[in-house]
Amino acid sequence: MNLDFSIIPGVMPALLAGARLTVELATIAVAIGLVIGSFVGIARVGHVRIVRLLAGAYVDFIRGTPLLVQLFLVYFGLPSLIGRPVPPFVAAIAAMGINSGAYVAEIVRAGIQAIDRGQTEAARSLGLTAAQTMRYVIFPQAIRRIIPPLGNEFIALLKDSSLVSVIALEELLRKGQVVITRTFRPFEVYTVIAILYLIMTLAISKLVSWSERKLKIVD
Amino acid sequence: MIETKGLKKSFGKLEVLKGIDAKIEPHEVVVVIGPSGSGKSTFLRCLNLLERPTAGEIYFAGKCITAPHTNVNEVRREMGMVFQQFNLFPHLTVLENITLGPIKVRRMPLEDARKVARELLKKVGISEKESAYPAELSGGQQQRVAIARALAMKPAAMLFDEPTSALDPEMIGEVLEVMKSLAREGMTMVVVTHEMGFAREVGHRVLFMDDGRIVEEGPPLKLLTSPKNPRTASFLSKVL
Repeated sequence: MNLDFSIIPGVMPALLAGARLTVELATIAVAIGLVIGSFVGIARVGHVRIVRLLAGAYVDFIRGTPLLVQLFLVYFGLPSLIGRPVPPFVAAIAAMGINSGAYVAEIVRAGIQAIDRGQTEAARSLGLTAAQTMRYVIFPQAIRRIIPPLGNEFIALLKDSSLVSVIALEELLRKGQVVITRTFRPFEVYTVIAILYLIMTLAISKLVSWSERKLKIVD
Repeated sequence: MIETKGLKKSFGKLEVLKGIDAKIEPHEVVVVIGPSGSGKSTFLRCLNLLERPTAGEIYFAGKCITAPHTNVNEVRREMGMVFQQFNLFPHLTVLENITLGPIKVRRMPLEDARKVARELLKKVGISEKESAYPAELSGGQQQRVAIARALAMKPAAMLFDEPTSALDPEMIGEVLEVMKSLAREGMTMVVVTHEMGFAREVGHRVLFMDDGRIVEEGPPLKLLTSPKNPRTASFLSKVL
């Protein structure tokens, strides 16, 4: 057995820089996903048929195709369409954000549908419009149910962000690969990378259960 | 105040209302009784368009509200509705439950809405619970808040859909009391209920529904004690 973790302190700054980019990618992508997902999720339960169908098609397409293919479509495919290259960072957050949007939409849809029909009926019978009912009655209740699965989505996205290493974006995994070409210590470096991912996902879990407690479920 | 003409409602192939002609006068308390599945709740829910009638017309305050392009929100704000399951908003306090409609629909300033809400809470006898959440209240208290919430919109008529059916027996009285005082104040009310005592005491007229039709109607005492239709008689013999 030939293990040498002594090289790790020297490469830590590079790995941490990669981890930082990973967090940035995942956070921006989940924020984009949240915005897309909220609209698409509400559209999925709305009563405008064409909007519902379009939203459904988007969700089906994203969930039915690999993120890696979606990433290649944006990074390698799109430039030939628009006639100029797409920067890797932009391609990465675009692909991840659009991907996340579909999953968040399903989370939002399920959260909304879990709210009793009587809530909508009570709100509408007061004369609230459909939009006001969603905003003041349904969504505030749904958000409590949405937070835990949203945390899972954030964790999944953070791990999946390792895929963008293939378009030469120096996030954590890619940084590690670069470091290995210098140190020839794959086992040690990948172990540290795994631990860094673990620390990040555990931190998100903690954050989610904390916010769950903050928004204590009353019903 | 409210009139229906040939009102029909089907759910898929199932025809629940088979042509209802009914008229509710201002300040009248109309009690709708009938076996379960007779369509009485559906009838009530059609009146404020929570259910879209399949055929027929509904007139409210002289306007045909089943006409296309009717603003349903404008109709609903004038008709209060109280549900069997209370349907209070669990994420809002008692006071917020009551002020939501006046603030968002009537554009009432917050302070005015609170003032109205507090007066109504006093009226239904639970002033001390204004900061509580619905889950902290008993069923009877929740239903009284629900009545206050509907009244806060200053509706022209109130619809009650089995308001005491989900309550423990000892809480039915307090809810009926609130409804009785409303009736005494001259509120126009349509009440679907199994409480025959309430029908007799405060109802001006009773409609007996069976199989999607109004089978018999008349003054409570007469209808409840000497029904003309055998189906009414058979129903009453089971519930009285």
